[in-house]
Amino acid sequence: MKRRTLLGGTFAVAMFGLASTALAQQPIKIGMSMAQTGGLAGGGKASLLGIEVWRDDVNARGGLLGRKVELVVYDDKSSASETPAIYSKLLDVDKVDILFAPYATVPTAPLMPLVKQRGMLLMGNFSFQVNSKVGHDMWFNNAPWGPADSWASSFLDLGQKAGGKSIALLAADQEFAQNLAKTAREVATKLGMQVVFDQAYPPSTVEFSGILRALKAAKPDIVYVASYPPDSAGILRAVNEIGIGDNVKLFGGGMVGLQFGTVMENLGSLLNGVVNYNTWLPEPNMYNEGTKAFFETYTKRAVEAKVDPLGYYLAPYGYASGQMIEQAIKAVGSLDQKALAKYLRENTHKTIVGPITFAADGEWKESGVVQAQFRGIKDKNIEQFRTPGRQVILFPAKLKSGDLITPFEAARK
Amino acid sequence: MKRSGIYFWTGAALFLGAALLMTQVIGNQYPFFAGYVILQFIVLAVAWSILGGYAGYVNFGTAAFFGMGVYTAVFLFKAFGAPLPVQIAAAAAVGALMGFALGLLTLRMQGIFFSIATIAATIIIETAITNWRYVGGAAGIQLQRPAVTAPFDNYVEMLFFVQAMLVVLAVAVSRYIQRSWMGRGLQALKDDELAAECTGVPTLRLKLMACVISGALLCAAGAPAAMYLQYADPASAFNLNYSVSTLAMSLIGGTAHWAGPVIGAIVLGTTQQLLTVTISSEVNVLVLGVMLVLFVVAAPEGIIGLVRKIRRKRNEGEG
Repeated sequence: MKRRTLLGGTFAVAMFGLASTALAQQPIKIGMSMAQTGGLAGGGKASLLGIEVWRDDVNARGGLLGRKVELVVYDDKSSASETPAIYSKLLDVDKVDILFAPYATVPTAPLMPLVKQRGMLLMGNFSFQVNSKVGHDMWFNNAPWGPADSWASSFLDLGQKAGGKSIALLAADQEFAQNLAKTAREVATKLGMQVVFDQAYPPSTVEFSGILRALKAAKPDIVYVASYPPDSAGILRAVNEIGIGDNVKLFGGGMVGLQFGTVMENLGSLLNGVVNYNTWLPEPNMYNEGTKAFFETYTKRAVEAKVDPLGYYLAPYGYASGQMIEQAIKAVGSLDQKALAKYLRENTHKTIVGPITFAADGEWKESGVVQAQFRGIKDKNIEQFRTPGRQVILFPAKLKSGDLITPFEAARK
Repeated sequence: MKRSGIYFWTGAALFLGAALLMTQVIGNQYPFFAGYVILQFIVLAVAWSILGGYAGYVNFGTAAFFGMGVYTAVFLFKAFGAPLPVQIAAAAAVGALMGFALGLLTLRMQGIFFSIATIAATIIIETAITNWRYVGGAAGIQLQRPAVTAPFDNYVEMLFFVQAMLVVLAVAVSRYIQRSWMGRGLQALKDDELAAECTGVPTLRLKLMACVISGALLCAAGAPAAMYLQYADPASAFNLNYSVSTLAMSLIGGTAHWAGPVIGAIVLGTTQQLLTVTISSEVNVLVLGVMLVLFVVAAPEGIIGLVRKIRRKRNEGEG
């Protein structure tokens, strides 16, 4: 008898719950998977916080089309094998209205054919060239990569202006780093530079002094490194121990990890002199409407959420994804995927990371990647990175906040 | 045919019929995406158990076989546009060869040394694939599925049914082995290899056969994953997670009977899928860990062992 009462009670509560949600205006659901465990979790959580800040802002403004915005988020464990099932659940069971892609390339790649087949718009999140083979015309990447080769060309251009003629390539044997190394090779050939050293290393490498000795012996003018967080730290430690040679004018380029607060804090003074790619930095020219307010909120909430305290690399772009979809929905006045995609493709969007215009492949028309040099970094102090002048922007010209110090050995001091 | 045989094949036919009916009736795609993963783990757990359960050789190289299955399919699809059945058959052949090599090379090592050698094999194969640019190398490769064959109107539904057929195949093979002279021989060498050899059990031949069959099934289970994901990269295909999950499923289900890994894979696979879309945070890793610990403590012989123990107690009580 008791059990029956309990069952009845549960049923009644469930029915009441269903009825009450049906009465209220249905929220607009935005679905995504995000790495919350595994190797990409650090980035994934920061990115998600950026999107959550946007959700709260837009809901405070009254939502979209008079409806609240709700996020449906699942953990993809940083793996490609989880995302197809998750996105099929988002589409078929949760019936979300808009899809955001997971953070990074690997979890996103298996989704591209699925969303293309379903005719869904997908807001990309820091993946690299996932649409180049699939050719989905409703894909829009929030990452400022721009054309595939712009990344390497900005770095090598700096090197050439500093008098560099030869280049050494050091890249991790993993998807993102290899893509960077490939474009760097192509750009080097185009610029007439000689590749004097070209080495890939397994992702699990921890000891780099052997590789760096060989690299030093090749006497390159420019060293282009495409590495992941653990190896970025390992490489900089090895450079600190054995040096890199006086002829190196420019060192860095594509080192992932040097954008994350905790990694930067740990490396401290080892970062000095390195010129590396970045997305958003607290330099004077990087502020747009709303940027300052965003970081005020983010900094507060990052403490509770235990994510990257700085959050420069990913979080503002997560917020920008939201802003873009917000503008599109407001302009179109509906959730029609084709109309939204058309709007996103044809207009320039105002965001906290600057104006964004998309090319036909859904990447930024013009690259927004900056190359910045670390200067005057002290050990064990994360707050120093909040002040301008610690990461001086050298490229692009319109965001520039200083000139390159070269050679690398001089800049390290 | 014995009565249990009739039950088994009727059950298998009903299962396949239900799977086929599902693909025709259900319009929602999610059950097929999630179901495919569970079925894939059933095949992996059953195949693993042939060597790991019956013979007691703990193989940590499930990921190596699975990944080779994926990449055999990728290679054949890229080079010749081979259809799905060819991809699976070729993967099974590659798996059988790998199993044979593993059997020859490492069956002379026992216990923990065998297990370590299988992990080493996974790393070596993954490194080789990582450096093979034709199949995408480290950057991975995106694949475009071909058109779907009738009566299916969706490729994932077809993959779901194909994986269901592999489940029936794997379970039938495992059941046959358990009930035949092979199973008894493997049981003997699991208890004491030297004693078994002395009493005339052809241990090396049995071990090789177990390795070949287990390897072929593990690889075959991996082959459809290439078309399921439409993407392959070494880090995902050779993910150690496959080895660990497969092992956990077999152990939770119980390795003494063919039904053990099936039950284990269903329980753990379903839990994993449910956790992904419910709790969906670090907590789900914790839940799985706690589940494993509970089973090891409360039911060291798995669910099958637990059921047997309860039955025996009841019989004793009645007697």
